[in-house]
Amino acid sequence: MSQRSKVIQLYKTLLYMGRDYPKGYDFFKKNLRRVFEKNKGERDPEKIDKMLAHGDFVIKELEALYMLRKYRTLKKRYYEKS
Amino acid sequence: MASLAGVRILIRNTGKFRNPISRTCLRSAVTQLQSNERYFHCKRQSIVTLIPQENIQSLRTYSTNPDTKKIEERVLNVGTRVKQVRQYSIAEPMSLDLIRKRVLLVLNLYDKIDPQKLSLDSHFINDLGLDSLDHIEVIMAIEDEFGFEIPDMDAEKLLRPTDIVRYVADRQDVYE
Repeated sequence: MSQRSKVIQLYKTLLYMGRDYPKGYDFFKKNLRRVFEKNKGERDPEKIDKMLAHGDFVIKELEALYMLRKYRTLKKRYYEKS
Repeated sequence: MASLAGVRILIRNTGKFRNPISRTCLRSAVTQLQSNERYFHCKRQSIVTLIPQENIQSLRTYSTNPDTKKIEERVLNVGTRVKQVRQYSIAEPMSLDLIRKRVLLVLNLYDKIDPQKLSLDSHFINDLGLDSLDHIEVIMAIEDEFGFEIPDMDAEKLLRPTDIVRYVADRQDVYE
């Protein structure tokens, strides 16, 4: 898999992940795009690998965010008063 | 009676395809039935011969008709969550024309594409001025509209609306 298709896949995955972002999908999309465009001139394969790893980290963070939100909602439902 | 029901099912299944081969098969099936008349009672026989061949078209039953207005409404109201459209019966029949219309509708609604410049043969990157990230978003919108995933390998080659139409038609087995 070439580095280009890896980046494309990362962008696609992040777009999917951002659909439930608390601040809204548009906000997420705008920022995601800005970040990708900021680094579009990068040609060094090692640096790109580092950025791809960072992208995976962001995906994990988003997953954790959604899990936490789910947990909080559940907790609120069961322990409303306390 | 069971055999009669079997014939009906056969008719319905074959009637789905429009190619002449299946129709001739169908005709031969009906004629075969007529030739086997000694196996039927007179009454039942009369029912069988009552199946007129002109009505093969009308035997195709769909719960939904392709309605452009409905599709338009659905595409417009798509939010972050894509609503699944359930077809409890057979899915609505697709034609190349309908696919073309749906693709153009989705592309028109994408905010970075100028509807005036858009035509079926305009190149996304050269003519419409999109970059590769926009292109990915366009492909994702098409995926949402038609309900299947387009692998990245194929998505790279879909650079014009006509390519998308042909790809979708190939995936959905629409050839006319």
